[in-house]
Amino acid sequence: MFRVLLHPFDGFYDVKFLGKRNFALATVIMLLCGVTGIMSYQYTGFILNYNPLFAMNSITIFITTLFPFLLFMISNWSITTLFDGNGTIGDIYIVISYALIPKLIFDVLGIMLSNVVTQEESALLTAFTAIGTVWFAFLLFCGLTVTHEYSAMINIVTLAASFVSAILIVFLSMLYFTLIGKVIGFVYAVFLELTKRW
Amino acid sequence: MNYMRAAVIACAICLLFPTAGAYAANTFESDYTYDAWGRAKRSPPAFEWADTLDGSRMEKIKVGSFDDVYVADDRIFVADATESRINVFDTDLTFLASIKLIRDEAGKIMVSEATGKQLMLANPEGVFYSEALGELYIADTGAERIVVLDGESYSYKRTIEKPADMVGVTPFKPSKLVVDKNGKISVVVQGSYEGIIDIHPDGTFSRYFGLNKPRVNLIDFFWKSIASNQQKEKMKKLFAPSFNNISIDSEGLIYATTFDPSAQDKVFRFNSKGENVLIQDGYFRVIGDLPRVTATESQFVDIAVSDYGVYALLDKTMGRVFLYNFEGDIMNVFNSIGNLKGNVKEPTAITWFGDKLILTDKQFGSAYVFQPTEFGQAALEAEKQYFHGNWEAAGAAFEETLERNANYDIAYTGVGRNYLMQDVFDKAMYYLKLGNSRGYYSQAFAEYRNLFIQHHFMWFVLLFVALAGALFYSEFRYNKKNG
Repeated sequence: MFRVLLHPFDGFYDVKFLGKRNFALATVIMLLCGVTGIMSYQYTGFILNYNPLFAMNSITIFITTLFPFLLFMISNWSITTLFDGNGTIGDIYIVISYALIPKLIFDVLGIMLSNVVTQEESALLTAFTAIGTVWFAFLLFCGLTVTHEYSAMINIVTLAASFVSAILIVFLSMLYFTLIGKVIGFVYAVFLELTKRW
Repeated sequence: MNYMRAAVIACAICLLFPTAGAYAANTFESDYTYDAWGRAKRSPPAFEWADTLDGSRMEKIKVGSFDDVYVADDRIFVADATESRINVFDTDLTFLASIKLIRDEAGKIMVSEATGKQLMLANPEGVFYSEALGELYIADTGAERIVVLDGESYSYKRTIEKPADMVGVTPFKPSKLVVDKNGKISVVVQGSYEGIIDIHPDGTFSRYFGLNKPRVNLIDFFWKSIASNQQKEKMKKLFAPSFNNISIDSEGLIYATTFDPSAQDKVFRFNSKGENVLIQDGYFRVIGDLPRVTATESQFVDIAVSDYGVYALLDKTMGRVFLYNFEGDIMNVFNSIGNLKGNVKEPTAITWFGDKLILTDKQFGSAYVFQPTEFGQAALEAEKQYFHGNWEAAGAAFEETLERNANYDIAYTGVGRNYLMQDVFDKAMYYLKLGNSRGYYSQAFAEYRNLFIQHHFMWFVLLFVALAGALFYSEFRYNKKNG
């Protein structure tokens, strides 16, 4: 796992082809990411924390933190199956969650440090946590290249395509849920009408 | 059964007597303020109704409407546009005089040379008394002129017609006016998009004054940027929003309000170039009610500025009075449209009367005097002391306001700021956090952190030594093992 952080190409190669996939570990990382999202809402130092703490809903935060990653997983998988990518959805899941490790670490450190910095030093802290995010993006890119056996260029194209498809997924699901809601509403109205008559 | 009967009788007796409201005879618990998160929080009002000034105090003079009020040192002037009168009261609210026909120094009614008619006020909407010059200025809206009277005898001095050299398309219908110490007149014309008209003391035109920026719509901006000149000519022109009222503070700075919905700012404090330099450092900009809470935007009809920077804004949509301090923090919201004592229907003007406020209403044809409540006194005192730089007195006054109103967020900041000045950092941090003041909190925290490091410096040194030792030892062992 830690080999992945510093040697992403070799590391992800081992993970995929030498059978070092560990779904339990990946899931733990994912869950920890969600918990970090909650923590950063609640425990970021007062100077940097502009969240209304009285209105906190930890479940919502947990879901909204993880939702982009899972959405990306599905959209990327649905695109790469069309683009001759060799990664399964499990592979993509592993890549995303392993790539999240540096982001997780830097975010947690950022939350801790945010309690001991002043407003003037907050720019430094932002730069510090940005390291984790950049690292995450780099690992994700490498990991996807390896796991789909792509060249860099094609990987960029599929990433762009999966971004568009993510938007489409969100749009379609919203459409779907509104329609379902309307159907349920209609059935309920008919039911009400019937019960009122008899 | 006996107990039941006794209870019923006790209930009946209780109902016979009105509930005791010893401390809140004239205040009503409908007042609120906004906290740092934009939630409307209950708050005691800073002002309560104290007295009413209406037709019953004015002998046989008819009252049409009250449109403007100005408080001089020893007198109160009220403009009545419907009856075309300026009514004068002294500070005890006793009626002194009513001006409709203009008389000369000998007491004879002035006759206009051109028309041969008597010189009479025509729907004056604004009045201003200049202490420095001892002159009473009346914005005679209907007759399109400014009438200047002597301050003591109210005899005719001069009229200022539309200046011959005035440029622009604004009709000269003065509605509200102020005069500075040198006699320069600033006039607001309702609906004029060219700004406030500045007139020299001798009646010649000086300039249009005041910058009122319209809100820019991103879509319009896009279409305009790609349109050709011919297309642009056909597009609807975007005019600068107009001002609707004006006020002047003791330093001669001009304040103005606008209720044009297309304006970026609602309240203005002009520098000499006519730019808005109003400080808006509060939790929100100076906009009165937050539209997301009340679903309507406040429309300010008048502003009253005190000597210590606190200003009151009169809103006509909900009949509210908003109190802001000079930093733009919202202090209090009170009064409303309604039929209770002091409530308004169509508010027109507000002004300071010492530490009291006078607001006038057009439909009721009356003026209300509002006096500060205990909370209001403490809040005004705190702002006064803070404005004059008496930190400790301000801190004490802020603590007093907190005893009367725990929802008064800016007082937490005030108290915390005072502790910060006295280098009591932990208390300062506690209060500044309650006041949601991150800037001051950061300052207090930086000092607190410095002290913390100084007091526990030994531990930091030990930690550093331990780390360095561990590193050194591991290097040593590694090199020893590998030769």
